[in-house]
Amino acid sequence: MTTALPETAGKMHEPLSRSVSEPSAPTGRALIWAASLGLAAVVLWQMLFKAGAVAVGFENWRPVLYAFLLWAVAVGAAQVLIRGERGKHALFVLPAVAFTVAMVIFPTFFGLYLAFTNWNLSSFTGPQFNGLDNLRSLMADAYFWNALLNMAYYVLFVLVQYAIAFGLALLLNAEIRARKFFRVAFLLPFMLSPVAVSWMIGKSLMEYRFGPAATLARHLGWENPAFFTTPWIARLSIVAMDAWVWIPFIMILLLAGLQAMPKEVTEAAKVDGANTWQSFWQITFPLMLPVSVTAIVLKIIFQLKLADIVINVTAGGPGGATDTVSSFIFREYRDRSNVGYGTMLAEFYLVLIIIFVTLLLKFVSRFMQRTN
Amino acid sequence: MHVKQHETILAMQANRRSVLKGAAALSALAATGGLTALSPEARAQAELRTQLLQVPGVGKGSPTDADWQKVGELCLNATKANVKEGEFKGVELTFMGLNNQNLHNLLFRGFLKPWEAYTGAKINWIDLAQADYNARLQQSIATGTVDFDIVEMGAPFEGDVCGKGLASEMPDWVKAQIEMDDYVGYLKAPVGTWNGKTYRISIDGDCHTFNYRTDVFSDADLAKAWKDEGHQGDWAVPNTWQKVQEVTKFLKGKKVAGQDAYGYLDPAKGWGGFAFYFLESRATAYAKHPDDKAWLFDVDTMKPRVNNPAFVRAIQDVIDALPAEPADQLNADPGTTAFQQFLAGTGSMLAWWGDVGSMAKTSDGSVIGDTVAFSILPGSDDVYNAKTGQWDKLSSGPNFAPNMAYIGWGVYVMARVDSDPVKQKAAWSAAAHLGGKDISLWTAAYPSGFQPYRNSHFNIPEWVAAGYDEAFITSYLKSQSDSYNHPNAAIEPRIPGIFQYYSVAEDELAKIYAGGSTAQAGADAIAAAWEKITDQIGRDKQIELYKASLGA
Repeated sequence: MTTALPETAGKMHEPLSRSVSEPSAPTGRALIWAASLGLAAVVLWQMLFKAGAVAVGFENWRPVLYAFLLWAVAVGAAQVLIRGERGKHALFVLPAVAFTVAMVIFPTFFGLYLAFTNWNLSSFTGPQFNGLDNLRSLMADAYFWNALLNMAYYVLFVLVQYAIAFGLALLLNAEIRARKFFRVAFLLPFMLSPVAVSWMIGKSLMEYRFGPAATLARHLGWENPAFFTTPWIARLSIVAMDAWVWIPFIMILLLAGLQAMPKEVTEAAKVDGANTWQSFWQITFPLMLPVSVTAIVLKIIFQLKLADIVINVTAGGPGGATDTVSSFIFREYRDRSNVGYGTMLAEFYLVLIIIFVTLLLKFVSRFMQRTN
Repeated sequence: MHVKQHETILAMQANRRSVLKGAAALSALAATGGLTALSPEARAQAELRTQLLQVPGVGKGSPTDADWQKVGELCLNATKANVKEGEFKGVELTFMGLNNQNLHNLLFRGFLKPWEAYTGAKINWIDLAQADYNARLQQSIATGTVDFDIVEMGAPFEGDVCGKGLASEMPDWVKAQIEMDDYVGYLKAPVGTWNGKTYRISIDGDCHTFNYRTDVFSDADLAKAWKDEGHQGDWAVPNTWQKVQEVTKFLKGKKVAGQDAYGYLDPAKGWGGFAFYFLESRATAYAKHPDDKAWLFDVDTMKPRVNNPAFVRAIQDVIDALPAEPADQLNADPGTTAFQQFLAGTGSMLAWWGDVGSMAKTSDGSVIGDTVAFSILPGSDDVYNAKTGQWDKLSSGPNFAPNMAYIGWGVYVMARVDSDPVKQKAAWSAAAHLGGKDISLWTAAYPSGFQPYRNSHFNIPEWVAAGYDEAFITSYLKSQSDSYNHPNAAIEPRIPGIFQYYSVAEDELAKIYAGGSTAQAGADAIAAAWEKITDQIGRDKQIELYKASLGA
């Protein structure tokens, strides 16, 4: 690239170019081979040592991490040796790739291995492969299926959140007084952590004895305003808190969509004599479908991760009525140190989510195509 | 001592009345020969204890790091008797503990600073939040990456650490230095020991006691209604769970001082495993037979007893009592029952740790400061005998079995120091300094995160001299002392993964309380889940460790 630049401009890069020695592909390839063999040897040796096949090895797996880091450095150096300047460009990306491999890709696959073990942190034997036992336990686990059923309810409530958010977006898009203030004010709940919302609303405002929401409910004639003791009221209370946090998110997406919508269309409809409802239902709503679908799909993905509010406010109760899959996994993993089964639950749920979201996207794609 | 207890003292301030009381107590001590008849060593000891209680002194604000260091300095004599100056020069130790309420490790730092200066050793610190503690400890153990030499740890984790041979055995000189004989009954062996070897230096005591409202149980209208409704006996504080049930149902719909009256408060929601302690407290009087050390599992098989008639009766008691408890009880965890209900004036009976008593007078949310009193947990007219399968009526009267829930914090030295004799002595010396008799008086009386745990802590005149209200502190300390020293105390099984058992039980109990299952079916489900955990952790090893923890 620098060769194409005028000489004066190219001077900026000169020190860089000069520091590059002539690419030496064979040396680079040899370095990759040597580093890879070295890494493989260290991993294999340590695996054999842990399996008891060899007598000498490292006390823990940390040296394997160091070997991986050395391998990553060697691969980076080899890129420069093999590809010269282009290899240097690759150096900007390689650390991120190595980091992603170490922190995302490896754990995902290692998680798959753990999902098929009976690893309990208190166990004396460590992780032991137990075939499909975890999957069988999961199939027979009433707590998991109960939580999954609750997730179905929670996901359905996204449509209600969407309807409310649409109404608010329309209001904020209209020529109302203090519009800018309301736009910021309505966004505030989204800026709060759901943990803070759990305490502020679930454990304070809705507290049975002194909570203002409970006091108001008493004034309105509800004698015992216990928001979290009967299944459907508890579920609705959780959904209401979740909605309070997330409606602004849907609303802001819809508002952006409304503002991007050509005004001429609605004005033309008005000229043609369409009333407000017709204008909304026949023009605004269909035009907004792609944005709506995006907002709903995103919210569903967030909804499937719902855990923090439930853990803090009800711990899944009463009797599992508000439990979510994530809060159940949290208990299984953190409170019960049941790493093998907890990982199986998480991986199985991940697969379910991938299938569900893929089907959902396929289903909604016909609405999305209208943008074209 | 817990922070709130200290705030109690601060709230009292050193007013004229308390000074007079203190003076009176000192005179009483002197009059009974307490001070005058002492040997020179004992007199020096007594003076040291008096001096310690003046750091920083009642009404002088919360102790600071300078105060902690001063306490550490004052209590260094025990170390000096066993360690030469500069003996551990060059030794580095790593200490893992908590940072709750900016106490625990932060307090230990101050205590150990003079020790470091004297011995020449250096201590590195790993501070953990309570919520991260269990996971960090478990992961270190499971992945073989124990990177600390000394650990502050609760007794329930002993199975995971001592049971796996990861702890260093306590040398005899340490036992002498910390005066272990002074420990309250339940903290003596087998607690802290495995297969006859001692590992734990106790720095805290824990048990559930019974907190009740004196105004409710002296209310004339309620006494009349009690008689009118044909109940047996006088209107009084229940001393058996049968009476607790009767009183709880009786109070439904009644009023005290214009407010709705409630009886016992059950936490029906899980609390990371800790809520199971509250079912235990209801069950121990039914399940802990004086002739049997075990009460939660069969010793020889680890077969759970949680679905035996004793526990099922306790679960059924909760189911029967819930309709008479506040309407939101299904969403009440132990934090709610203590701090949002009982201290705020809802309910008249509660089993809890010492925090309720210490907060009753000072917490802004507390309205019961002058109307609360304490006793050991209620008993039962009959007790289940797991060996015969019969309910026994004891000739001595109701069966009492206070629940030593969590047992309390201790300091443990890890086995990894054993290969280096100097490092081993240094680690044990540091731990012994923290677990010394005199330093413990200070931690019992000032904010530290620890409760009284030695017989010498129950010397009421010492507390009164320091500024405490006599009636309150007597009732409070007596309930703890009587629980700790009870011959039939129910001691928690110190087996690996004990909180896993509790956590899974909480899920099932929540289902039972919400009407999703009967007491027996739910208890059977808990037992089945417990069997699974036992198999997963290793049944033979669990049996072996359970026996070792019981000293059997």
